[in-house]
Amino acid sequence: MRYVSRMDSAELAAARLKEHRLADWLRTQRSVLVGYSGGVDSTYLAVVAREVLGRDRAIAVLGRSASVPNAQSVIAIETARARDIDLRIVSTTEVDDPRYAANPVDRCYFCKAVLWDVLCPMAARLGMATVADGTNADDLTGHRPGAKAADEHQVQSPLALFGLTKAEIRLLSQARSLPTWAQPSAPCLASRIPYGTPVTRERLAQIDRAEQSLRSLGIAGDLRVRHHDDLARIELDAALIDYWLEPQNAQRLVDAVRAAGFRRVALDLRGFRSGSLNVLEGVVAA
Amino acid sequence: MSDLAARLSEQGDDYRVEARERLAILVPQTGSSPDVERRKEILKLAREEGFTHVALELDPDGARFPGS
Repeated sequence: MRYVSRMDSAELAAARLKEHRLADWLRTQRSVLVGYSGGVDSTYLAVVAREVLGRDRAIAVLGRSASVPNAQSVIAIETARARDIDLRIVSTTEVDDPRYAANPVDRCYFCKAVLWDVLCPMAARLGMATVADGTNADDLTGHRPGAKAADEHQVQSPLALFGLTKAEIRLLSQARSLPTWAQPSAPCLASRIPYGTPVTRERLAQIDRAEQSLRSLGIAGDLRVRHHDDLARIELDAALIDYWLEPQNAQRLVDAVRAAGFRRVALDLRGFRSGSLNVLEGVVAA
Repeated sequence: MSDLAARLSEQGDDYRVEARERLAILVPQTGSSPDVERRKEILKLAREEGFTHVALELDPDGARFPGS
């Protein structure tokens, strides 16, 4: 398993101390609406909020749209149900916003602005005092234009506030037996489309189909299908490249991705890189 | 022939290189796939030629002749 925790007891103790501070903070808020994606971070936050505040004062809201992988939404709903979290589901339409669809380097800002434009008034209607997201301490570095939209809407990021890193959140999630603890990061499907190439429902659906087909071949862990018009560039764990370059296996990749509507299929020789297209476009250093 | 293709050819690797800005798509002209050491060398050469990403096209003949 890729995300096996190797933290020692001192690191676990440090993580638990941060978790205590998070719990104290949640109590002072009295009620919280969590922007919930079903990913590692927001699932952990929603579960802790539910534990600390109770079902009536901790609500999770899942935004569903064409840019969210369908399988992820299904897992998010199942997890919320298993943990007795009050889950609300809203449809968001960022793809219809021409500023988002044009796919500029700050595309995430427009997506998050649409989301918080829905969730913040919803929190007020439901009597929730605070709106929070799953931004963690590691997220504070790197290219994150979506954070600006959260700031503008006074959305709180308690995981980052108390210095909880992704590794610590995975560890604390594992301690709670959350199914997300070893889950790969799952950013929105638009992150597979190079900046400047319009984000359309068709392209998003094509990527979703291709990634689901590849998952059905048994590919676990990090996986992205990057959309380069007629060509799909597959990024997967570097340790798996030799296996998938064997001719019979390569043909399985090709068949799966072509069935999703791509004519040409290529395998990235370096393997998965988070934010790969940010490097390709020169938004961040290689 | 691109500089990267020429440099790969000097080392016995026969690829057509399709450059899409900083992405190099290697279209194999023979059937073999690079092992891990060859991939490291290819990535090194590509970086020296200004590419940040290198991808190997799979089944290029199938893309040219769909249904074949």
